[in-house]
Amino acid sequence: MPKRLVYSLPDEVLEHVFSFIQSDKDRNVVSAVSKSWYEIERWCRRKIFVGNCYAVSPKMVIRRFPHVRSIELKGKPHFADFNLVPDGWGGYVLPWITEMAGAYPWLEEIRLKRMVVTDESLELIAKSFKDFKVLVLASCEGFSTDGLAAIAASCKNLRELDLRESEVDDSSVHWLSHFPETYTSMVSLNISCLGSDEVSFSALERLVSRCPNLRSLKLNRAVPLDKTANILRLAPQLVEFGTCTYSAELRSDVFSNLAGAFSNCKELRSLCGFWDVVPDYLPAIYSVCSRLTSLNLSYATIQSPDLIKLVSHCPSLQRLLVLDYIEDSGLEALASNCKDLQELRVFPSDPFDAEPNASLTEQGLVAVSLGCPKLQSVLYFCRRMSNAALVTIAQNRPNLTRFRLCIIEPNTTDYLTGEPFDVGFGAIVEHCKDLIRLSLSGLLTDCVFEYIGKYAKKLEMLSVAFAGDSDLGLHHVLSGCESLRKLEIRDCPFGDKALLTNAAKLETMRSLWMSSCSVSFGACKLLSQKMPRLNVEVIDERGPPDSRPENCTVDKLYIYRSVAGLRFDMPPFVWTKDEDLALRLSP
Amino acid sequence: MCMELQLGLAPPGSDTWSRPLLKLGLYEDINVNSKKRGFDHGYLEDEFSAASFKNYEKGLVGWPPVKTWRRKKLRCQVHNHMTAAENGCCGGRASNSTYVKVKMEGVVIARKIDISIHQSFETLTTTLMTMFDIFDENRRSFKLTYQDKEGDWLIAEDVPWR
Repeated sequence: MPKRLVYSLPDEVLEHVFSFIQSDKDRNVVSAVSKSWYEIERWCRRKIFVGNCYAVSPKMVIRRFPHVRSIELKGKPHFADFNLVPDGWGGYVLPWITEMAGAYPWLEEIRLKRMVVTDESLELIAKSFKDFKVLVLASCEGFSTDGLAAIAASCKNLRELDLRESEVDDSSVHWLSHFPETYTSMVSLNISCLGSDEVSFSALERLVSRCPNLRSLKLNRAVPLDKTANILRLAPQLVEFGTCTYSAELRSDVFSNLAGAFSNCKELRSLCGFWDVVPDYLPAIYSVCSRLTSLNLSYATIQSPDLIKLVSHCPSLQRLLVLDYIEDSGLEALASNCKDLQELRVFPSDPFDAEPNASLTEQGLVAVSLGCPKLQSVLYFCRRMSNAALVTIAQNRPNLTRFRLCIIEPNTTDYLTGEPFDVGFGAIVEHCKDLIRLSLSGLLTDCVFEYIGKYAKKLEMLSVAFAGDSDLGLHHVLSGCESLRKLEIRDCPFGDKALLTNAAKLETMRSLWMSSCSVSFGACKLLSQKMPRLNVEVIDERGPPDSRPENCTVDKLYIYRSVAGLRFDMPPFVWTKDEDLALRLSP
Repeated sequence: MCMELQLGLAPPGSDTWSRPLLKLGLYEDINVNSKKRGFDHGYLEDEFSAASFKNYEKGLVGWPPVKTWRRKKLRCQVHNHMTAAENGCCGGRASNSTYVKVKMEGVVIARKIDISIHQSFETLTTTLMTMFDIFDENRRSFKLTYQDKEGDWLIAEDVPWR
């Protein structure tokens, strides 16, 4: 009886129930229950996440979900961040904006990552969506301040404009001044990526002063330090603040003005920026330190003693990003002061120098793993590591969910025993049962992959470089890691066998990247033929792979599942099994 | 003389940028007659250039995996930082190192040499020529330049050694 009752509930009631279900995963499950639930669900889904913009076409999304208000798209593969993807590869957002302009007049939010955005796209956004509220462009490129001006001028209800880590061309337009005087809705503004000519300070001040709901403001470098106090006094309600250049001649009036302004900000919980830091100005933030939960000092080239002083004022810290200048001693101080720490990222101050320029070793990470019981997420660049340290870390912190270790020199061995790090990373995957992201480094044999395949059942993303001995390594991962979604590999001796044997696995994943490995073009063609729902893209700038023997290895390979078929915007250096290859080769 | 961080070797009157870059088009509009500006731009671009960025030792692209964006920001900063330190502004690390980075035009990988072990331009130039495999007969066609506080590239031999 009760079962029938559920199925006889009117659509509106079901819709109302579904409105409490926000997560994509849950929504997908709901839509698979029955045909009628599928129908009801698709009409009321408001938020879409597309992890690979080429996995589906905009028309298909629109056909299934007619009333979307919020969309998130990701373009280029992750390794594009490290210059492994040539310019012009793809990830263009314009086709999506064009389709959505017609289909979703009430679209409110667009979040993009690693996509090519043009001024034309921005102008189309500004023109097409009357109630547009949120624009996040993370690691995007291809647009200028002209496009930003269009957004500023037209989007009356814009709440969030976040350009994090994007490349913006300066068209010399004072785009900030394009926000009309009547515009007061800004809640979150991140312009930290902009150059010096691209922001007019007085326009910024006026904007801040008329937006009472501003909670997050990340300035760009060019704003001088003595102006920071002005901005803070206009927005004491800020929760998140990114400073501009944190350097100036030391003057007591500037200092006390700044310190006073910071002390007014009772809601401040997160600080970042700190470009060109002059340590003498750091005490100006002490009044807010006890409440800080997030601190990004990863651009602050200050030394360990100053970092230790700062960190010891921040007992509530949950997230710290810092350079290796913090050294082992600084991390020890962190471990004793910051018991709520959940995330730590230590970046290299001089990544290309063979010699270490800061005394940061595996000891620092071990200390933090011991002292910080809530530590879940680690990104750590160092030059020295041991299996013993990794085992200790794994045993101390079985609650780790993200572990990314970069031992800077490829093929480095355990400095105590001279061995590869198979045992160390093996311990990590064995003890940390909820690990969802892992990046490997140092000398590694096929053994480590056997451990990963055996233990890392929740692993979703794996990054591998200069590791392994044979196809067996790759086979262990593809056959063992049940939750794997993204796999990125560079400079490993993995080839055709592992790939072809595990072809079906690839359709259960979002994508696979392999560069400087041993996969032949012949295998790529074969894989393509076997798996029609996979796009197998060979990136090779040496000319058509067909002009070389079939067993010649390809330079880079990007394989992703797609229901949209081959994309139409491939540049000349991307090769697929496309029968029209001959046509593309002709001038 | 205040020696800044970078020295450069450039064939005088060079008219092509034969750097192994994908973005060759980027250099078309540079006034290549102005060696000073061109080299400076070329040098900085090379540091940040997407395609050609290589680790000094191995010539590896994209390793270690530090985002281009982050590398750029940090590099700009270190440069400004050193300049500020030179100008007597507070803060920053006093560099006790006498190592200086040397770049040769047309070669992606820079090298480091210890300035303090040389007493004259002659010995410095000889060491650099050996380092970059330039034979004696070609020596004349290369010029030693250095970058001053303002970021201008000047001819090294124009100023006294000290």
